[in-house]
Amino acid sequence: MALLEAKDIYRSFQGFLALAGVSLSVAEGSFHALVGPNGAGKTTLFNVITGRLRPDRGRITYEGREITGWPTFRIARMGLAISFQRAQPFLSMTVLEAVAVACLGYQGRTFALLKPLRDFKEGLAQAEEALQKVGLEKQSSRRVSELPLGDLKRLDVAIALAGRPKLLLLDEPLAGLSRAERREMVAFIRELLRKEGVTLLFTEHDTEAVLHLADRITVLHQGRVLAEGSPEEIRQNAEVRAAFLGGGA
Amino acid sequence: MRLLWLFLALALLGPWFSEYGLKLASEAFILGLYAMAFNLLFRQTGLLSFGQAAFFGLGAYTMALLVARGGWPFPATLPLAFLISALGALFIGFLSIRLSRIYFTMLTLAFAQLLYAVAHKWYAFTGGDNGITDLRPPGIWGESLFYYYVVLFLFALGVLFLWALERSPFGYALRALRDNRARAEAVGINAFGHLLLAFVISGALSGLAGALQGALQRSVFPDYLFWTRSAECILATILGGSGVFLGPAIGATVFLLLRVVVQANTEYWPFFLGALLLLMVLFFPKGLGGLALEMASRRLKGERRGASGS
Repeated sequence: MALLEAKDIYRSFQGFLALAGVSLSVAEGSFHALVGPNGAGKTTLFNVITGRLRPDRGRITYEGREITGWPTFRIARMGLAISFQRAQPFLSMTVLEAVAVACLGYQGRTFALLKPLRDFKEGLAQAEEALQKVGLEKQSSRRVSELPLGDLKRLDVAIALAGRPKLLLLDEPLAGLSRAERREMVAFIRELLRKEGVTLLFTEHDTEAVLHLADRITVLHQGRVLAEGSPEEIRQNAEVRAAFLGGGA
Repeated sequence: MRLLWLFLALALLGPWFSEYGLKLASEAFILGLYAMAFNLLFRQTGLLSFGQAAFFGLGAYTMALLVARGGWPFPATLPLAFLISALGALFIGFLSIRLSRIYFTMLTLAFAQLLYAVAHKWYAFTGGDNGITDLRPPGIWGESLFYYYVVLFLFALGVLFLWALERSPFGYALRALRDNRARAEAVGINAFGHLLLAFVISGALSGLAGALQGALQRSVFPDYLFWTRSAECILATILGGSGVFLGPAIGATVFLLLRVVVQANTEYWPFFLGALLLLMVLFFPKGLGGLALEMASRRLKGERRGASGS
C-alpha cells in the first residue's frame, strides 16, 4: 500500500515551472530515492510534501488522507518527519534539549508554560532513546553549536526520529561529508531504518550511495518524472542515461 | 533561588528609602517589568516590537478610565488593565506576526501611533492631551512605602513568571523558532500560535506596568502611547543587555538613575542618552548585564587558576 502519494503536482515560481505534473507513490516499508540534476525539482517537491509550499495544482495523500495545503506543523505531527540538507538544528541548546523540545513538539505539548522542560521525564526519556539510536547519547549535554558537521547531521536525524515517524524524508543526507563518512552514513541509515521499520524518501547526488540504499528510484528532470523503477531498471534506462550524460537534449 | 534573595533584599531596602527614593525605585521596577516583557519577544523569539507603548498605554488608560470615570477602586483595575492589554496584543499580534521582521516592527509602531492619535484627539473620552489626572489611589494604596511593596510584589511575580517561561517547553519552542524556524515547524511546533501567545503575554505584562506607572504618577497622558515610550523599553534592554535574563531590569534602573543625575545638572539628557547608547552598542553590545557576567566569569577563572597554581 502506498504510504505517501503525490498526484500531478504543479508548482511554479514567477513563471519558472519547478514542478510540472509530478506523480509519486511511496510504498510502505520501501527506501525510495528521488534523483535528478540540480533544479530538477527535488527540493521543491519535498517542500510541497512537508507543507512549506502550497502546490498550484495536484494532491498529496498520506496514509490515505489528503494533506494538501496543511500547515507544516500538522503534517509533522502525523508522523511525516524530515531531516534537512543543511542540518542546523537549534544551535542555542544542548543536544538533549534540542531533541526533547522536538519530542514535545511532535506531541503538540509545547504550550506548557510553567513546568520546566527538565521535568518532562517521558519526553526526555524519548529524546535519550532517539540519541542512542544515532549514537550521540554520550554527547547529550554538549552544546549543539559545538558539534562537528557529521554529528550535526546525526543529531538532525535524531530530531526527525524523535517523533517516531512512519515516513522519513532525507534531503541529501551525504552532502558535505567525506568519503569515509559517507559510507558510514549509508550503512547507518540502512541499519537504523530497517530496524525501526521507517519508510524512507530521500534525495542524493551520490549515485553509488543511491544504488546501495534505494529499492525504488524516481528520476526527476526539469520538473517532470523521467523514469521510475528498481535500481536495476534505472541503470539500464536509455532515457536516463541520455539526460544525465548527454544533457537535456 | 538567587532571584528570591534579590527580591528579599529589595523588600528589606524599602524602609530605608526616602519618599523620593521610594518613587524612583517603584518607577525602576515598573520600567524593569516593561523592559523584561519587551525582551521576552526580543530575546526569546527574535521579534523586535516597536509598539510596546500600545500595551503600556492601554493598561494605563484602562486603569485611569475605570478609576476616574467608573469610580472603581484602584486595585480592582489591575486585572482588567492586564486583560485589556492582552486583548489588544491579541488583535495587533494577530495582524502583525504573519509579516516578516521589518514589516512586523513597522506595523507594531503604526498601531501604537494610531492608539496615540485616538487618545490625543478623543477629548470627550480620554481628555485629550490634558490627560486624566487626580488618580491618587485611596487610603494606604496612596502611600509610597506600601505602593513600593505592591510594585515590587508584582515585579517579582512577573519576573518569576518569565523565568519559569524561559525553562518551559514553551520557552524552548520559542527559541527553536528563533534558531531555525523551518526546522521548528517541521518538528510540529506551531510558529504562529507560539509567537502570538508570546506577544500576548508580553503585551499583558506591559499593560500591567502601564497601569502601575499611571497610579504612581497619579495621571495618564497620551504620551503613555507615544513611540518614545516604546523606545524606552528598548533602550533599557540595550543598556542592560538583552542576552542576560535580568539585563533589561538592570538597564531600566541605570536608565532612570542617569536621567535623574543628568537632568539635575544639564538640559542635555537626550544628548547624553544618545552618546551613551552609541558607546554601549559599539563597545559593549552585551550591555551592562553582559559586562558584569563577563567580569564575574573572568574572576572565577582567575581564582581557579590561582588555586591550581598554589
